Amino acid sequence: MYRIAFDIGGTFTDFVLAAKDAPPRFLKLPTTPDDPARAVEDGLAQLLAAAGAGGADLEAALHATTIATNAIIERKGAPTALIATEGFRDVLIIGRQKRYETYDLYMEKPPPLTPRRAIFEVRERLDASGQAIEPLDLASVEAAAERIAAGGYESVAVALLHAYANPAHEQAVRDVIQARLPGVPITLAAELSPKFREYERTSTAVANAYVRPIVERYVERLEGALAGLGFKRSMFIMQSAGGLASPEIARAEPVRIVESGPAAGVLLAAAIGVEEDWRHVITFDMGGTTAKLGAVDDGAPAVTPTFEVDPIRYRPGSGLPINMPAVELLEIGAGGGSIARADLGVVHVGPESAGADPGPMCYGKGGDRPTVTDANLTLGYLNPSFFNAGAMTLDVDAARAGIERDIARPLGLSVEEAAWGVHTVANGNMERAMRIVSVERGRDPRRYAIVAFGGAGPAHAARIAKSIGAPAVIVPFGAGVGSAIGLLQAAPKIETSQTSVIALDAPDAASDIRAIYANLEERATADLARLGAPGEPEWRRYGYLRYRGQGYEIQSELPAGDIGADYPAAVEGAFHKAYAQAYGYHDPNAVIEAVDWHLVATLPAPGGALDLGWRAPETSAPAGMRPTWQPEAGGFVDTAIFDRRTLAAGARIDGPAIVEDPEATIVVPPGAAARVTARGHMVIDMRKPGDAR
Amino acid sequence: MSGRDVDPITLTVIWNGLLAIAEEMGSTLRRTAFSEAVREGEDFSTGVFDGAARLIAQGNFTPGHLGSMPYVVRTVLEYFPRETLKPGDAVLLNDSFLGSGHFPDCFLVSPAFLGDSLIGFVVTTAHHIDVGGAAPGSQRVHGVVEAFQEGLRVLPVRLIREGAFDEDILRMILANVRVPEKVEGDLRAQANANRAGVERLSGLYADHGSEIAEAAYDAILDRSEARMRELIGAIPDGVYSFDDQLDDYGPDTPPIVVAVDVSVAGDSIEVDFSRSSDQVPAALNAYINYTRAYTVFAVKVFCDALLPQNDGGMRPISTKAREGCFFNPTFPASSGGRAAVQIRIFDAINGAMAQALPDRAMGAFSHWSNPNIGGVDPETGKPFVMYDLAFGGYGGRADKDGAEALAPVMNCRNIPVEVHETNNPVRIRRLELMADSAGAGKFRGGAGLRKDIELLAEEALMTGLGDRHISQPFGVFDGAPGQAARTVLNPDGEARELGSKEVVDLKRGDVVSFQLAGAGGYGDPRERDPAKIDADLADGYITEAGARRDYGYGDET
Repeated sequence: MYRIAFDIGGTFTDFVLAAKDAPPRFLKLPTTPDDPARAVEDGLAQLLAAAGAGGADLEAALHATTIATNAIIERKGAPTALIATEGFRDVLIIGRQKRYETYDLYMEKPPPLTPRRAIFEVRERLDASGQAIEPLDLASVEAAAERIAAGGYESVAVALLHAYANPAHEQAVRDVIQARLPGVPITLAAELSPKFREYERTSTAVANAYVRPIVERYVERLEGALAGLGFKRSMFIMQSAGGLASPEIARAEPVRIVESGPAAGVLLAAAIGVEEDWRHVITFDMGGTTAKLGAVDDGAPAVTPTFEVDPIRYRPGSGLPINMPAVELLEIGAGGGSIARADLGVVHVGPESAGADPGPMCYGKGGDRPTVTDANLTLGYLNPSFFNAGAMTLDVDAARAGIERDIARPLGLSVEEAAWGVHTVANGNMERAMRIVSVERGRDPRRYAIVAFGGAGPAHAARIAKSIGAPAVIVPFGAGVGSAIGLLQAAPKIETSQTSVIALDAPDAASDIRAIYANLEERATADLARLGAPGEPEWRRYGYLRYRGQGYEIQSELPAGDIGADYPAAVEGAFHKAYAQAYGYHDPNAVIEAVDWHLVATLPAPGGALDLGWRAPETSAPAGMRPTWQPEAGGFVDTAIFDRRTLAAGARIDGPAIVEDPEATIVVPPGAAARVTARGHMVIDMRKPGDAR
Repeated sequence: MSGRDVDPITLTVIWNGLLAIAEEMGSTLRRTAFSEAVREGEDFSTGVFDGAARLIAQGNFTPGHLGSMPYVVRTVLEYFPRETLKPGDAVLLNDSFLGSGHFPDCFLVSPAFLGDSLIGFVVTTAHHIDVGGAAPGSQRVHGVVEAFQEGLRVLPVRLIREGAFDEDILRMILANVRVPEKVEGDLRAQANANRAGVERLSGLYADHGSEIAEAAYDAILDRSEARMRELIGAIPDGVYSFDDQLDDYGPDTPPIVVAVDVSVAGDSIEVDFSRSSDQVPAALNAYINYTRAYTVFAVKVFCDALLPQNDGGMRPISTKAREGCFFNPTFPASSGGRAAVQIRIFDAINGAMAQALPDRAMGAFSHWSNPNIGGVDPETGKPFVMYDLAFGGYGGRADKDGAEALAPVMNCRNIPVEVHETNNPVRIRRLELMADSAGAGKFRGGAGLRKDIELLAEEALMTGLGDRHISQPFGVFDGAPGQAARTVLNPDGEARELGSKEVVDLKRGDVVSFQLAGAGGYGDPRERDPAKIDADLADGYITEAGARRDYGYGDET
C-alpha cells in the first residue's frame, strides 16, 4: 500500500509517494494556477505509473494548499455579504484603527474583503453575558435576506455583537437566510470562532465566507480527480495548526487551511528535530523573498490562537486578523533576493526584493540591484556553476559590480567588505526575528536547535545561531520537498475553543470549567465523527490566561482528567509556570482570569519512520578548494568545498567549509564543526568544546 | 573619536541593535501591562539614550512622547547626579512641565551599566489611566484651572532601588489614584520593559566596547541630522503662516487661536506658535515639550516619515512659542486634556506647509474624542474608569481620498465594544460612520464617526474631550470643510447638545452620543471622478441628497 502527499505552492506542486518497504518517490511539477487539480492529476498518474501501482493501492492522500491564502491576497474570493448588529455596520471597515506605520499619514488601510455596500444590519442585541437585551427582529432579517438575494451574493457571513456568549441570534439569522437563499453557504462567526473582540471575530467569519465557494469547488474537483484515478479512501487536508482535516471540514471552515503549506513545513522540521534528538527547534526557512520562522517546543509545533493574513510590508497589524489556531510563524522581508543599498552611511537589506524574476544581478535576467545572493556569491559561498544543481550559471562579475556600485563605493569599502556587510545585515535582520520567536516568547535559545531550509537558509543559519546562542543547526536532507513530506507526519486533529471569562477564585469556577469542557468535548466528538479517521483520540486542554486586568493572555496547558473542586487551583499552577517561563517572574497573589478555553483531540499519526530518500554513498569524495571570505579567519581563506551527495554518514567537516547541495549551500563558519548523521541530515555544532548541552 | 572612525558595517549592526532594543522594550510593556490605555490603546513609547543623555533610538510607538523624552532624562540627572545612580535603579516622573505635558504620562528612567560605568539610559513612558485629581481619568478640562487639581504630581523620585520597588513611594502613589491595581500593574510592566532594555543595552556595549559604541552614537546623530537638513533644504525658503482655532476650553468660553508661522531658511526650520492665544484657565494647555513633540512629528511627516527618530534628526527643527502662550504655558497651568490639541498642532502646520509643499498637504482631520466615564461598578462595588478613544477620518490627500476611521496623529488602537462592555458598566449603542459628513473634494475627506455610549451604573461623571464642534475641519485647495462635530446627551429622548469639553453627571440609562466631524476635502469637488461619487452612493458614504448638495450630482448640464 502507498500513501501520497502533495503540496500545491504558488510556483511548484511537490509530491511524495511513500511505501512501507520501498524508497519514497519524489516529483516536482509546475503548479497549474487556473486549475490546480490538473497538476495533481498529472503528478499522481506519473508517480503511480512509475511505481507500477494504481489509485486503488493508495491508503491515504494528504494535501496542503495555498488556495485559500491566494484567494484572499489576490482578492479573488466570492462576492460576500455580511450581516451585523444594527448600529454596528462598520465594525469591519473601522477595524482597530492603528496605523501600521506611525509616521506615514499617506498610507491606505488594506481593503476589506467585502465593501460597505455588502454589509447589512439586523435589529437585535446581546449583552456581554449573552442575554438578549433586544430580541432578534425577524422582519429585519428578512429584509436583509431580500437585499442579499437582490445583490447576487454567493456567500454570507453573520457576525453579531457578543454572539460568542450565545449563538442563538446568529443561528436564527441563518435559518431565515437559508430558507430564502438555499444553497448559499452561511458562516456564523459565533460557531466558527466563539471569542470576544468583535473586529477580529468578524474578520475571521468574513474571510471564511469569502473563500468558501472557491475552496468548495476546488475540493470537489480534487476529490473527483482522485476518484478518477481509482482512489477510494478519504483525502485529508492540512490545517494551519498542523493537524489534518477532512474535506468536509475544509469546505465548511476553509479559514482553517489558510496556513496549510507552512504548517506542513514546520511539522517536517519538528519530525527531523526529534529524529536528531532535538525536541526544541526554531525553524528557519529562508527563500527568495522572505524568511519564515517558527518554533517547535518539546517535539510539537508551537501554535498561536490567531494570526494575520496578507500583511503589508510584513508589518504586524497590517493584515487581516484570523481567529484560528495556526503554527506560529514570523515572516520578514529577508531572502536571497532582498535588495541591498547604502543610505545614511550604513547598509540596508530588504524588505524590497528582486524575487526570482528578474532576481539577483548574478542571474543575468535583468536584475540591476545587488541582493543577498549577489553578496553570497561575491564572498565565494555560492558556486557559480552549481546553483540549483547546475541548472543555472551565476555571473560573479555582475554580482561584484553591483555590490561595488551600490555598497562598496558609497561607503568606502572593498567589494568583499561590502558583500560581507550585506551578509551581516541580513543576518542581523533575521537574528532580530529569531529573538522575537525565542527570547520575547519565553524560549531560551540555548536549548533550541535551528532547522534551516529554503534556498538561502543554510548559508546564513550557523552565524545567526552563534549570535543568538543556539547550540546547533540542522540542515535536513531533501528539504526542498519538505512540506510534502511533512504531510506524512501529520496527525488528524480537531481543535475547539470558546471564550468565557472566568476568575479562578470565583466560587463557581470549577463547575463553570466543567461545563465548558463538557460542551467542547461534545463539539469535538461530533467533528471527530466527521473526520472519519481511525484510532482513539488523545485529548489535551489549553487555557488562555492572564492576571485580572491584563489584556493579553498566555497559553498554558491544563491538566487532563476529571474537573473537580481543586481544578481551578491546578489551572492557576499551570498559569504561574507558563508566565514565569515567558516573563521571568510571577505574582502568586494576583487573581487569575481565564479568557479562552481550548480542547484539542489528536488521532494517532499514520506513523512510519521519516524517509527522505537519503541513501548513503559508499565513501566520501575528497573535497575541492576555493577561496571564501571568512572574517573570523582573517578574510579570504582557502576553504574545503564538499558535495553533499558524496558525504557518507558520520562524515565530519571542520569549518571553515562549504557543503554544496543541489537545493542549497551550507556554510560552516570557522570554529564550527558539522557532521552527517545516520539519516543524512547535516548537524552543525555551534558549541565550543566543554559547553554543556 | 569621530563617527568616521567606525566602519559602516559595525555602525549598521549597532544602529539596528539599538532600534531592536527600543522595539523589544515596547513589546514587553504591551504584553505585561494592565490598563486598556497601554495594552489596547498602545499609548506608550520607549527610548534608548547614551551616557550623555542623548536620545539615540526611539521605538515606533505614539509620537506624543517624542520631543519630551530627552528633556526628561536631563531633568532626572539634575535630581540624581550620575554617581548616585546604581544598577537596577529607576526614577519616576510625571510632572506636566518637566514631562510630556500632563500627569497621566509617567516616565520611568533606568540607568544602564557595564561593570561600574554608567553607559546610558532606557526610558519608558506610559499613559496611566488615572493619577487622581478632579475627575476619573485625570483629564478633566472644564473647571480645572491649575495643575494642583489634576492629581498626583511626581517630581523625579527613585521608585526602584537596585531592582526592588520602594514600597513606601509606591504606597503613596497608589493611595492617590482611583484604580490602584491598574496603575501598579502598568508601573510593573514599565519596570519589566526597562529591565529588558538595560540588559540588552549593556550587552551591546559589552559586544562592541564603549569606544566603538560611543563613536557609533556620534555617527548616528550626525547622519540623521545631515539627512534632516538635506530634506529641509529642499523646501522652498519662506515664511508660511496659518490660523486655525480650537472651539473653546469649556462651555461659554472663547475660542483658542491656533496660529503658526513656519520659517524655512536654508537647512533649518522654525515653527513658532507665539501668535496663538494666551494660556487658558482650563486643563487644555500644551506645555512646550508637548508642542515640540507634535511639531517634530509634523516636520517629519512632511520631510521623511521613516527617518530614524533621535536627537540628531531634531536638531534642525526649532519649536517656539512665547512664554505664557497656550503652546508654552507656565506652571501651574492645567493641562490634563492637552491630548485634544495634538491634532490641531499638526493641522495648523499642515495648513502652513500646504503653501510650500502642496503635494504633501491634506485636508484637516476629523479630530477625535477621548472621553472618560468614571463611577462605581454595581457588579464589583469598585470604582471604574472607562477610557475611550474614538477616531474618524483623514483629510483628502493630493492623489487619493482621506482614509476612513484611522488613528489620526497619535497612533493607538481603539478599544473593542466587547472589551468595554465586559469590563465596564456601559453599553455601546451605536458605532458607525456618518453619511454626508465628509468634506467634499476632488479627493474627499474621511467620514465622521458616531459612537453612542449608555451608562448602566447608577451614576457616573463624564469628562468630554473633543473639538471641531464649532470650527469645522478645513479643506485645502478648494476642498470643502467636513461637517462639524456634535456631542448629544440622550439623542433619542430629551436631547441636549453638549460642549466638546463639557463635564456631565450621568445617571443610569443616559446615552452620550459622540459624533465626530468629517475630515476636510482636497481639491475642487467639481473635479471629482463621477465613478467615485457613484461608489460612495452605493457604499452609503453619501446620500443622494448629500451628493446633490456637495457635488451637484444629478444636476443636468
